[in-house]
Order: sequence, then C-alpha cells, then structure tokens
Amino acid sequence: MLKFILKRLLIIIPMALLVVTVTWGLIRIAPGNFYSTERKLPPAIEENIRKKYGLDKPWYVQYGTMMGNIIRLDFGDSLKYQGQSVNEIIRRHFPYSATIGLLAYILALIIGLFAGIVAALKQNSAFDYGSMAAAMLGLSVPNFVLGPILVLFFSLYLYWLPPARWGGPLYLIMPVVTLAAIYAAYIARLTRAGMLEVMRSDYIRTARAKGLDEKTVLLKHGLRGGIVPVVSFTGPALASLLAGTVVVEKVFAIPGLGNMFIQAVLNRDEPLILGIVAFLSILIMIFNLAVDISYGFLDPRIRYE
Amino acid sequence: MTRYITGGRRAGLALILLSLIISGCSTQASTKYWGKVTEPNDNVLRYITGSEPESLDPQFVTGQPEARILIGLYTRLVEFEPKTMAPIPEMATNWEQSEDGTVYTFYLRKNGKFSNGDPIKAQDFVWSFQRALSPELASRYGFLGYDIKYAEAYNSGQAFVKKGGKFLRADDADAASDDQAQPTNCGINEPICLTVSSDEETRNKAAADDEKLKAAIEGAEFVPVKPENIGVEAADDYTLKITLKQSAPYFVGLLTHQFFSALHRASIEKWGKDWIKPEHIVTSGPFKLGEWKPYDEMTIVRDPNYWDAANVHLDGIKFYPMDEQTTMMNLYKAGRVDALYNHTVPAAWNEFIRQFKDEYLLQPEMSIEYYTFSVKKPPVDKVEVRRAFALAVDREALEKYRKTVKRLVNFTPEGIFPEYEKVRKRVFSELIKKEGISQEEWNDRMFDPKHACELMEKAGYTAKKQDGGKCTVTDFPADKMTLTYNTSESNKQVAEFVQAQWKQNLGIEVQIKNMEWKTFLPYRSSIEYTGAARAGWVGDFVDPFTFLSQFYTAQNDSSTGWWDRKYDEMLDSANKTADPTKRFELLAEAEFMMLQDQPVIPLATSGTSWMKKPYVKGMYPNPGTMHPWKFVYIEQDRSKWDKAVDGIMTDYTDPRVESQIKALMKTQVDFEAAKAKQTDEKEDKTD
Repeated sequence: MLKFILKRLLIIIPMALLVVTVTWGLIRIAPGNFYSTERKLPPAIEENIRKKYGLDKPWYVQYGTMMGNIIRLDFGDSLKYQGQSVNEIIRRHFPYSATIGLLAYILALIIGLFAGIVAALKQNSAFDYGSMAAAMLGLSVPNFVLGPILVLFFSLYLYWLPPARWGGPLYLIMPVVTLAAIYAAYIARLTRAGMLEVMRSDYIRTARAKGLDEKTVLLKHGLRGGIVPVVSFTGPALASLLAGTVVVEKVFAIPGLGNMFIQAVLNRDEPLILGIVAFLSILIMIFNLAVDISYGFLDPRIRYE
Repeated sequence: MTRYITGGRRAGLALILLSLIISGCSTQASTKYWGKVTEPNDNVLRYITGSEPESLDPQFVTGQPEARILIGLYTRLVEFEPKTMAPIPEMATNWEQSEDGTVYTFYLRKNGKFSNGDPIKAQDFVWSFQRALSPELASRYGFLGYDIKYAEAYNSGQAFVKKGGKFLRADDADAASDDQAQPTNCGINEPICLTVSSDEETRNKAAADDEKLKAAIEGAEFVPVKPENIGVEAADDYTLKITLKQSAPYFVGLLTHQFFSALHRASIEKWGKDWIKPEHIVTSGPFKLGEWKPYDEMTIVRDPNYWDAANVHLDGIKFYPMDEQTTMMNLYKAGRVDALYNHTVPAAWNEFIRQFKDEYLLQPEMSIEYYTFSVKKPPVDKVEVRRAFALAVDREALEKYRKTVKRLVNFTPEGIFPEYEKVRKRVFSELIKKEGISQEEWNDRMFDPKHACELMEKAGYTAKKQDGGKCTVTDFPADKMTLTYNTSESNKQVAEFVQAQWKQNLGIEVQIKNMEWKTFLPYRSSIEYTGAARAGWVGDFVDPFTFLSQFYTAQNDSSTGWWDRKYDEMLDSANKTADPTKRFELLAEAEFMMLQDQPVIPLATSGTSWMKKPYVKGMYPNPGTMHPWKFVYIEQDRSKWDKAVDGIMTDYTDPRVESQIKALMKTQVDFEAAKAKQTDEKEDKTD
C-alpha cells in the first residue's frame, strides 16, 4: 500500500512537467500575444516589449528558463497583471473557488446521497419517482440557465439575495446551489443505482440471513459497496469543483481561479496559464490518488499490489 | 394517455407561471426607475469600469477600464472638462505656446502635493515623462509622446551621429551640405540632430538603401540618445517647457491622457516593480488608493493632500472589476452599483432600457466602427469595387437595427468635433464640385445600390439589373473574398447584416468568418486577410487627427495596406497651421482624398449606452466615457436628481459643476486675456 502511494506520488512530478511542456507548446502555436491590442504597435515599441520579457531569445533558452523556474516552484510574474506573481495570484484566488467548490460538494453529497439511498430503498415509490425526476431536471438544466433564473427570482424580484460578487454568507447561497445542482443530481442517480445493485447481491442476503438488523445491513454492508461508483465520480468532481467553475464564477462575478484561467488564456498570459495548469493537474492527480486509496477501504475486494 | 396529457398541461401551466414571474421581474416600467433606487446613505460612488485593471502604473496600462481609475489617482498638467473632454487647468494653472507652435510652456501651481505630502514640481513631470518614454519600461503607449523632440529616438534606443566632434543634423542626411552650422551638442533648443539605430545591424540595413545615410554614418561615432535629451525641461521649480519635433495643435489635449501623469520618483526608485502595491504606492490625484482586492474590489478615497481637495465631492469610489454585461445589469438593478461604463446595456435589452429616461445615457462617442479592405489583394484592389461594396450597405437600416449607433460615411465620427464637421461640410462641397460629383450623388453615399452596380460594371464585371436599382453581379469572384471579424455577438450581427446587404443589392455572396480576438489581431494587422475585416477605433484625444493619423506614414496602423505620400504631406501641413479653421480645412481635404480611395467602409459612430442612478451627478456621457471624478457628486435631495438625461449634454446645466469648471478655468482665461491685451497694445504702438 505504502509502496503504491509512493510510486503514484513520484509519477505526479514528471506528469506535471509533461503537462506544462505540452501547454507551453500549445501557447507557442496559438497565434497572437499578450501585448497585442486593437492598435498596431510601432516596431520599436514591440522590440522594447520583447526585450523586456525575454521574448527575443531563442525558444530553447526561453523553454529552459521557464522549466528552471518551475522546478524551483516559481512561475514568475503574470504578463498581464503587472507586478503580480503567478504564485500570489493562485494563492489569492484559489480560496474563493475552493470555498464555493467545497460547499457545493458538501451540499451535493448530502442531497445526492440522501435522495439516492431513500429512492433505492423505496424503489418505485412516489419519493423515488419524484427525486429521480428532480435529478433528471438537475442534470439537464445547465448552470448558466439555473444561475440567472435564481438571480432573477431571488435578487431582482424579491430583492432577498445579492445578485453577484463576494461578501458574507448570503452571497454564497446562489452560487453554491447553482454549482451543486448538477452534482447532487448525478450523485443521487449513481447512489440509487449502486445501492439497488448492492442490496440485491449475495453478501447482503447473507448479512440478513445472519440476522443483522436492517440498519447495520444498510450502513455497514450496503452503503460501503453502493457508493463505490459515487466515490469514483466525486473524487475528480471535487478536484474540478475546487479548481473553479468558469460559468458560475462569471455569472456571479466571483474572483475565483476558473475565471482567472479563462482570462489568462484569452490574454495569452503564459506564466499564469502554465502556473494554473500545473497547479490544477497536480490537484487532480492527487485527488485521483485519494480516490484510488479510498476504494481499498470501501470495498474489501480491492487490493493494491 | 389521459393522465399523460394532464401531466403535460400541468407542466405547461408551470411554465406559463414561471414566464409570468420572469416577465414580471423585467417589466416594472410602471415605476419611474429601473429596479431599486433609494437615497444613498453615504458619499461613496459604486462604479463598474470593466475588467480587472492590469496595473496601477498609468504609463504602462492602455485600456479604458484602467484609465478611468487612474485619472482619479494621478494628476496631469491638464484635466478633462467633464462634458467636452477639452483640456482645463489641473497642475498647470495656465500655459502658452510659441509662435511656431513647437514650444509649450506650462506654469504649475505651487500647492500641488503627492499623497505622501511631497510637493509636485516641474522636475517631477520631467522625470515622469522620461520614465514614460524609457525603452526599459517598454510602454505600449510610448508613441503618445512621440511628438516631443527626441522622444521617439530615445524610446527606440537610437543614437546621435557625431563626426569630427560635431553632431550631424537631421537634414544633413538629405541635403548633405557641409556648410550648415553644426551643433556641438544636441540640445533641446538647437536644430534637430540626426538619429539612427544604435544597433549596428539595423543601422547598416537602413543605410543599404539610402546612399546619403550611408555616407553620413560612415566613420561616425554614435552617441545614444539619453533621457535628458528629450524636449522636456524644468525652467524652474514651477515652469515646465515642452519642445516638440514639429507643431502639433492637439498637443495640450493629448496631455489629459493618463500616460502624462505626475509620478513620485523616490518611491518608484525605492520599490521597483512593487511600487504599485497598496503599501508602497504614492499617488498625486484627487483620490488615493484605499483597499485593493484584485478581481473583487478597488477602493479609492479622497486624498486630503490633493491641492483641490476642498472641491472633491466624493469621499471615495468603489470599482468592481467585471466582464459580464448581464451581471453588471443585475447589480445595477438590485441597487448595488450606482453607475456603469459604456456599452454595458446588452443590445437585446436596449428597447426596454430606453424607457428609463432618467437613467439611460445614449450619446455619440469618439469611436467608430468600420470594415477595412485589403487593398493590395484582388478582388478589392480596384477602387471601383471597394466603392461599390461601400455604397451597397444601407447604413440607415444598420442604424435602426443596431439601435445605439449613428450611421457613418466619413472616417471621423459624427457629432464629436462640431467645429471640424462644419468646416468639413464646406470643404467637401467645394471638392466634389472640382471632382465633378453632383451634390445628390454625394448625399447618396449612405446607400446607393444603383451607383454601386454601375461601379461594378466599370470595374469590368457584368451586373444584371434588378428592381430598385439593385443588380446581380454574375462574374464576381466572391470565393476570393471573406469578411472576417473578431468573435462577438454584435460583430456577428453586423457581419451578417452586411453580408445580406451585399447579397440583396449586388447579388454577391461573401463568406463571413469569425476569429478569436488575439488570433484576429495579428491576422488583420499583417493584412493576411483578403477582402474585408472588422475594425473599430477609439480616439486618444479630442481632435480629428486621432482618427486621420491612422493612415499616416507607410507603416500606418490602418491594416489596409493603403498609403499615399500626399496624404502624409497634407496632414503635416495641417499640423503646421496655427489657425484652427485653416488647419481643419487641410485635414478635411486629406480625409476627402482618403475616402475617395475607399480603403475602408465606415459604418457607424458608436454610442455611449450606459446607465447611472439619478442621484449621481456631475457625471456625463462624454465622447470618451472618461469621468474626471472630482466633479462627480451624490445628491441626497430627491428634488435635485437628474431627469430626462437625454438632454444632459445640451438642454440643462448643473450650476454646481459649471461654477467648479469656471473657477478652474479662470487662471487660463485671465492669462489669455492678459496676453491678448498685451499683443493689442503692442500692435497699437507699432501702428
């Protein structure tokens, strides 16, 4: 087990460097640069800029400098936002995304698991139909529709909630709900399917035959097997929730990392793109590892060599 | 089956209910204002200026969102007049120019202070201008200062040419005469010295095609142009002298730009790139930096050290950086912001928002929309073809369709430079007579399909006549032409409109293609495209030259490939003319000449299209959406709130703002009057 974890952790480093290299190549291929605007710059000014940012050097020198910096975990300064280091930007904006991401994740888990388990246990009941229909709706209404509808109703009709920006707990409600909806729906359906399958399996019948009470059967034996598909879904889901979701951040004007990432690409802000890509890829790989480890605890049939 | 239908009906009912709620939310026109409007409980303006500012360094940034913040933080020699954007005294109480228009002298007020209490002196401006133009700063707006003597040479890292202990003059390379008096140093008041690239390779390359230059630089010594060579000097602590390379009558207007701000040397030298951090920054304007939470909120607060702090009405301004139009509109409606920046009302909402007459501001802007032609590539290399395409677009219909813009057929915007427009009208009517164009034909330039068809025939294509003057050009190589635009909903609408117009009126179906912004920019500026491409232009200062200069010099910024030496000469001679009317005449002649060649299709003058709550006063829909913040105030008294803001620029005035402007103008007005009197007296004596 420890060997497995160590091996996986070690792989993360070359993987992240590979991702960064590929991204760097893609940025180089993409036309346009960070300093271009509607106005064509006089050649002398363009030359000044290229010199200032080291763009006048050959590509392998630039690549070497970039890699050297990254190995020292220093992504340099943003090209767009003067005087702000990439590390500082990530440190500053990740907490916004992480806050709404984590809250949405918890909300989605609570609603999803509850609805899924109850629906599975009361298969074909009114609750089952109702919650699964709601889940279907949650899955099919995209968040860029749900968000504005919530805003329209709660902010512009009732004037209860602030329509956008970051502030106290009131500001969090709509973005979190918007973000959680689709995940809750997905988790509910996965849980229901997983539970239905497990509850029909032989070992549950054995547990019941042993005379265990229904609560133990459900929570100790049923749930552990039933939520394996949920875990494999929610692991990466949590990573992407924490990393920031562009649509929700845009609709609610939240200064999160997702928004930053898109802006960085549109601005051709190379250091910032690379920094966020490296950060997110490492985050996602760690979460995937965590998911793989948790399988072992949830399902005794899974062993690590 | 029955059950199913009932279910469907129920869902239908729910949908109707939902849509009722939604429509109920958006049509509260029965109240006078849009959304929540309550008396503000503090004296702080909450404003959305656009995206997150790139920096707080006024010499580095180029965007309008930043500019609006920075003119609050830094003082310049002159400030914008809030309605017209004309220059009015700020750090300079008064100024004058030399007879040939190349030397400006600014007299500074003595009570100017930075936010840390240090006095602002002429030397601060000298250093700030030198910094702005330094190649190390690599400012994208460096060219704004290129009118100043040796500014371009310094910014481009050039060198003077020294031979036998004397410097060569700029005209030596042309005239190559030895008998001219040669300067022993390239001082500001001496004739302009020759400058060449400091880089040997570039220099030799330039000399390769220029025999005279080659002779001039042979065996010469090269002395780099230094910051102190630039034509900006402090005659004393409070007198600043700026020397230009040639006269530029728009120059004082240009100095309103944030690029020419006064910066604090000691703190910038001490903190390096970190000087803009909230804990280090020293500013010079009516406001100083309060709190800065990037991507969330920036607060600026009134600076008690500012020389005119007594007349700064707001306690502070909160800027919320944002890109999403809908989100901004939501915040505005919910009463959480007080005013928005220009073009924030989504096109689809326009009809609805227009009814809020006390809040919606639509005025012409110092900005135009047009299509460029790639004039060196067929099939638009023929002027007849370009003119045919231009004439085949019904601009009146476009104006109605777009709702916020005004039709445009010339290259300088309509309704922004009234004096110039008057002169231009007269000059154009004289010129068309000379060219043998009837007044009627000229007036029809807005849309004239018949003439467009004739031009197509003249270009050698076959045009089959249709009803209403339209035609079908059968043999036009439409496949060799594309209309390219950068991705955006409104650009797409316009492109589709123009595409349809060409199809209807000329029977030519041109392909349209969209491109991501940063991909599109180099594609257009290197004129890789064939056919036409979308362009927009926002003026940097209030003068037609800011538009016409786009076609100036062979490496011009027009993205068309069009250039005419005669056009340059016309602009040069215009700028050398001191008399404003005379100058405008020359500019109009140049504009006429360029338009006759039709390297572009002007489409529209943009409109401001933004909203403010009625209690925000002293804030105007001026041509550049630049708000000198010290005139802005929040009115608690409901009876004094702005009404019918359509007439805010012309129909009524705000006595509070007017008297504030008048008081500021006084020093310059008195100075000019005194000067005029002096000249009169002198003339009387000589008589």
